[in-house]
Amino acid sequence: MLTEMENTLNNFIEIYHKYSKLQGSDHALYGNDFKKLLEDECPHFLQNKNAATWFKELDINRDNAINFQEYLTLVIKVGLHAHDEIHKE
Amino acid sequence: KDKMSQTLMECSVETIINIFHQYSTRLGHPDRLNQREFSQMVKKELPNFLKKERRNEAAIRDILEDLDTSGDKDLSFEEFITLVGRLTEASHEEMHKNTPKGHGHTHGPGFGGSGPNPCKTQGGNQGGNHGHSHDHGHGHGHSHDGHGHSH
Repeated sequence: MLTEMENTLNNFIEIYHKYSKLQGSDHALYGNDFKKLLEDECPHFLQNKNAATWFKELDINRDNAINFQEYLTLVIKVGLHAHDEIHKE
Repeated sequence: KDKMSQTLMECSVETIINIFHQYSTRLGHPDRLNQREFSQMVKKELPNFLKKERRNEAAIRDILEDLDTSGDKDLSFEEFITLVGRLTEASHEEMHKNTPKGHGHTHGPGFGGSGPNPCKTQGGNQGGNHGHSHDHGHGHGHSHDGHGHSH
């Protein structure tokens, strides 16, 4: 049986696939999928930067899709931002 | 912010931060994991994801040293979160082992199934899905129906 932490890490996999399965390759988030993920899952990340700008920044290999590894960079950014916010309170 | 109004991403990130703090506040600097705190976390929180390493103090120390890019012998949250990315990637790869090809997208059980998931308690029945690594009784995620998923 997985622990709370392990299940929580798997939540990040589930979130990716919820959107990566919408069209095309199951391991690619295209522009629209990625925009929807940001809007649904971390809307505060769209306050200062739009989805297209985030996409360009995360699409390190410039293949016009966010693969799983590139998505993990977003997860890390969301985590760092949330940690900063907690210590501001 | 209460759990009900959070997205799965926000809740999951917050859960990871809370676990980090639960260990980082035990000894020394309250926002850093030292060797002992990190070892306690690996043993208690990551028994399936770091199955081999958790029985071996030297292996746990190797992980810490690898993450400790500043070389100060403990982990800031910034250093620690690299492990979050690596473990999630390893778990994803594990889920893709031994899955049938040509039946759409499927995941195997990965590092194990079921267990507590604080971000997915609302409305879902967590008790009824033994042996599945990520169940979907609540409107999140992709379905594995009809893909011959074995448990």
